[in-house]
Amino acid sequence: MGKVEIFNFQVATQDIEGLTDARGDSIKAMLESDYSISVDSVRVILGYQVKSDISEEEARRAIYDLFADPIIEFGTLDKSLINNKKLFQKSPEIAITVGFKPGVTDNAGQAGLDGLRTIFPQISEESQVATTMTYLFWGISNDISPTWLASKLHNQMIERASISDRVECSNSNWPKLDFPERPVLMEQPSATVNLEVSDEELIEISEKGLLALNLEEMKAIQANYRNQKVRSARRKLGLPENAPTDAELECLAQTWSEHCCHKIFAAKIHHVDHETGEEVYIDSLFKTHIMKPTLDIQSEVNWLLSIFHDNSGVIAWNDSWSLCIKAETHNSPSALDPYGGAMTGIVGVNRDILGTGLGARPIANTDVFCFGPPDYSGHLPEGLFHPSRVFRGVHAGVRAGGNESGIPTVNGAIVFDERYLGKPLVYCGTVGIMPRQLPDGRQSHDKTPQPGNIIYMVGGRVGSDGIHGATFSSLELTEDSPSSAVQIGDPITQKKMIDMVLEARDLGLIQVITDNGAGGLSSSVGELAELTGGADLDLAAVPLKQPGLSKWEILVSESQERMTIGINPEDCEAFEKLARLHEVEATAVGKFTDSGAFVVRYGAETVAHLPISFLHDGCPQLQLESEWKNPHHNPILFPSADADEMGEILSRLMARPNVASKEWWVRSYDHEVIAQSVIKPFCGVNHDAPGDAAVIAPIHGKTQGAVISNGIVPRYSDIDSYAMAAASIDEALRNAVCVGVDLDLIAGLDNFCWPDPVESVKTPDGRYKLAQLVRANRALDEVCRAYNLPCISGKDSMKNDATLDGEKISVPPTLLFSLIGNHSDVRKAVSSDFKEVGDMIYLVGETHQELGASELAFMLRDESNGESGIGGQVPQIDAPRNLSLYRSLTKAMSNELVSSAHDCSDAGLAAAVAECCFGCDSGAELDISTLFNSDVNLDVWGALFGESLGRILVSVKPENSESFEAFMKDHECNYLGKVNSGDEIKITNSQALVLSASMSELRDSWKGTLNGGRN
Amino acid sequence: MIPKVAVLSGFGINCETETMAVFEMAGAKADRIHVNRLVNGELNLNDYHIMAVPGGFSFGDHLGSGRLMGNRLRFGLREQVRNFVKSGKPVIGICNGFQVLVKMGLLPGDDDVSLTQTASLALNDSGHYENRWATLEFDPQSNCIWTKGMTRIRVPVRHGEGKFVTADKTLLDVWGEAGQLVVKYVDPSSEYPSSSNDILPYPISPNQSWRNIAGVCDPSGLVFGLMPHPEANHSTWLGATWTREDIEHGEGEGMMIFRNAVNYVIDNFNN
Repeated sequence: MGKVEIFNFQVATQDIEGLTDARGDSIKAMLESDYSISVDSVRVILGYQVKSDISEEEARRAIYDLFADPIIEFGTLDKSLINNKKLFQKSPEIAITVGFKPGVTDNAGQAGLDGLRTIFPQISEESQVATTMTYLFWGISNDISPTWLASKLHNQMIERASISDRVECSNSNWPKLDFPERPVLMEQPSATVNLEVSDEELIEISEKGLLALNLEEMKAIQANYRNQKVRSARRKLGLPENAPTDAELECLAQTWSEHCCHKIFAAKIHHVDHETGEEVYIDSLFKTHIMKPTLDIQSEVNWLLSIFHDNSGVIAWNDSWSLCIKAETHNSPSALDPYGGAMTGIVGVNRDILGTGLGARPIANTDVFCFGPPDYSGHLPEGLFHPSRVFRGVHAGVRAGGNESGIPTVNGAIVFDERYLGKPLVYCGTVGIMPRQLPDGRQSHDKTPQPGNIIYMVGGRVGSDGIHGATFSSLELTEDSPSSAVQIGDPITQKKMIDMVLEARDLGLIQVITDNGAGGLSSSVGELAELTGGADLDLAAVPLKQPGLSKWEILVSESQERMTIGINPEDCEAFEKLARLHEVEATAVGKFTDSGAFVVRYGAETVAHLPISFLHDGCPQLQLESEWKNPHHNPILFPSADADEMGEILSRLMARPNVASKEWWVRSYDHEVIAQSVIKPFCGVNHDAPGDAAVIAPIHGKTQGAVISNGIVPRYSDIDSYAMAAASIDEALRNAVCVGVDLDLIAGLDNFCWPDPVESVKTPDGRYKLAQLVRANRALDEVCRAYNLPCISGKDSMKNDATLDGEKISVPPTLLFSLIGNHSDVRKAVSSDFKEVGDMIYLVGETHQELGASELAFMLRDESNGESGIGGQVPQIDAPRNLSLYRSLTKAMSNELVSSAHDCSDAGLAAAVAECCFGCDSGAELDISTLFNSDVNLDVWGALFGESLGRILVSVKPENSESFEAFMKDHECNYLGKVNSGDEIKITNSQALVLSASMSELRDSWKGTLNGGRN
Repeated sequence: MIPKVAVLSGFGINCETETMAVFEMAGAKADRIHVNRLVNGELNLNDYHIMAVPGGFSFGDHLGSGRLMGNRLRFGLREQVRNFVKSGKPVIGICNGFQVLVKMGLLPGDDDVSLTQTASLALNDSGHYENRWATLEFDPQSNCIWTKGMTRIRVPVRHGEGKFVTADKTLLDVWGEAGQLVVKYVDPSSEYPSSSNDILPYPISPNQSWRNIAGVCDPSGLVFGLMPHPEANHSTWLGATWTREDIEHGEGEGMMIFRNAVNYVIDNFNN
């Protein structure tokens, strides 16, 4: 083979009648939908820059053997396609080429390189492939600047663009990008960090190094290196005795980061309630309000197999299989690069499942996003993407991550609020399944590490991408946030790894496994070292994406798609052979020990030596102040409205982004791979009505199922975060009840996303925000106990603030509650759509005058420019009453008496009725007068649009109504009316007509808001 | 006899578990086989009666869906695959597996099994991936052994590149007359049979495939591929609207495809 050269391949869709350039058309539709810009035509040219030692002749072969489809595409080598008059009769007016910056993951490029090796197996190791996209525009208004246009087509943080403007295009001067050569990295020699300095300098060291350690923590580290015992031990090891190495300090910062060790949830809190006069100290919210209730429940059931200590919580689903669930957030990376941030979020949480016990198989994803309003037209601080772009990018990232991994996205939600402009919330959840027992007899939910196990790093390589993700997410977002914290996932490398790891598990090869997420090897090896009592890691053995990384960078880099696995020495050969078969890189990088220390070497040089006890228990407890006072809100001003106007109000509510159909977006997630989806995101005669919880039957041919649901209502935090948390839990359970969950086997996940609740100069209202956290935790404790719903895992993200342009934007306190439960027989699962004309409609559960912070209140506030407030009673919970009703309802379902059941929540009863009608192409005629019996304060607004908890809208066949009513006799169960043929939704209060609307018009407004482009 | 099915896996194929399940439900024994086990000689396709290329995202669909996996088979397993087909054994490709078979030239294919690509699967007109249910109608005249006796079924489609096209439109007539255009999207509200060459509106045709083609077979009727996922409708409780229907629960509408092939093997290779 000859010398390495660069070959440029270009590929475009051929001009064949009946074939469109769908990539170009999608860009055209996006410009129209997001920016109201109309363009005559957009075409796309795919570029492949190949750096290899193939010959010219081989390169010619590769055009149609690899890069271009011989039937529908046209390919060239080293010639610009734009000049090809057969493809493009006229010169474009603007041409923009976009490519990745050097070092950014280029999945298509990697695939191209793999494809090149399939055809030419002998090519040089140095070979590389980089991809580009060239966008050509015709018929574009002169007002549109090419630079502005380019900024909408690429993200400068990870991509570069070359632009030919109108003049350059008229001179056939086309955009051009050089091959993205990685810059040569200069390895920094290991250093020692002197901590014998003033307090101010300690803080400066932390801030400059992006360590996110506070003064007390820096002083705890300083104290460790003053300890004489530590000093003499270090002297013997030849380490600097009175100061940490850079690798040690980095490793401590990762392990002690808010992201990894949840300092706020572990803090000692002084809580004062000015409304009640209460004053208490809470020693760790986590231990008091999350762990304790779950442990109490665990003492009474036998199905809680593994809680809190592993990468996800595990429950016994039946005698043969267990299920596990975990959700994470990826908020900060998604703010900087929505696509890459969200994709690494979803593939990252998949690895939490793979790293549970001895390895579980991910079988379902859930995605819940909180964004700024998609139609936001106010001021956007410099450095922020418009929410519609964040939405599009996050959606595309999760779509690629989930679909390419072969994991169905079964459930989710999207919430909009202006306060998510600064940091969007991107919750990614995954459910996994594993056999209770492996062929070798071990319980798969227990890890079995032994000193002497060889440590393998499996999957991707380590690069300079993803340095400081854990500490960065523990800081607020600013203009200076580092691009190195952003990465793009590589789902196919990970899929190969998942296939290989699960095969290794079943062969009994795995003793211990965890993923490399936040903190990289420092966290994964450091955490597992706690199990055996030590580890010895050799950074020189770690495969790198490029030379020149400093030692501490290898230790903390969060490069994606990596697992850390412990293998018995005698199994190493079999393990490595399996890895080769799957074309997965697996490298021995050290061994687990019982030395009491986490030792990091680079060949013969020791770069870190950290006692396990100091690493994991040395972080000092935070002492925090919390103060509660009820916030004040103005009351809601209700307009006067006749029945038609009430119909119009309902129509506007249905069009609110929080309520509107998300079908356009959700359809592009695969929700049915694995062939297990029983209750899907969509139901109804036209497959477009919203489902409640997901039901899956993961063992093919068997009818036992699992239920997966979510609850999230951040709006209520404006009045009381206790109500917010209670409502989130109830919503998740209510959704699960709607499909017929088995209430004796339900488990939950709590994911808190809070604004910084630590009082400081930057956060003067920290005490109030912490009190909100205290109240939410108390709700979690009380409601989960009442529902017998243990939290088996969870996560918190506590710095969801952004300061940009001197403006601080904090998210509203948000709890996502995810639920997994058993379904005894999926053939009896219930969907939300009304089934037949004549079916009888009931509302079960009590309706109260609870419109505070409701969707209606927010709409009236927005429509009155703030004159109308959101004040009033926020929905209150009566968990024992709800649970008793849910039990009766699910019994009626298992007796097949219930035709449909739909959660009654956002925008209240009226919205729920409309949604059930959409699924049946029908109308409905209802009378609400019986609702007024449960609350003397209830008015028509409250009855139609109030969001009281514990309510489900049910329909029943007339012949089943008597038996159904008998099941519900001890509960509030109000017969409202019937499913009608035709289009009209008509609601009366005794004789008076209070709401009248056309179902199909409501459906149009419901579907119109979030339609993301053409179909 | 119990037919043995080689269900290929690896490199981003992801529907192998359910594909194995449906063959087992149909009475066969299905093995998950990493493509490299065939390439390295550890296993041989000859030892199997049926080959299935399941759906998924092999190599992330980069450089065109199915292209890189197709090349792995075309360059790494060329003679094994040709011998398998020439020995009269059934092959199925579903979704990404169909894309693989088309890109490697096994479908619509030719009598010599020359592995020359003659058709392709372009991006959906929508420009993006979609998961939705569609109704399929089968050509009763086709000699395809996989679709024998089938009229219509409802199945999910889950793809971004499923628009069946070719550069030479006269080939469509050739394939049509030979019964190779074996399955098409159809309007569920129409009377059976009513498949048509005029492209149906979205979303009845989810991708605007030419002649509404959802799947094709080779001239022998043994090699079959389709974009939709019949294996995802293996049981009645997986249907899109089953909660609205008065049904006896049991096998789903997609199962007959797999039963047909398993029975074909039992009838023809039972010696």
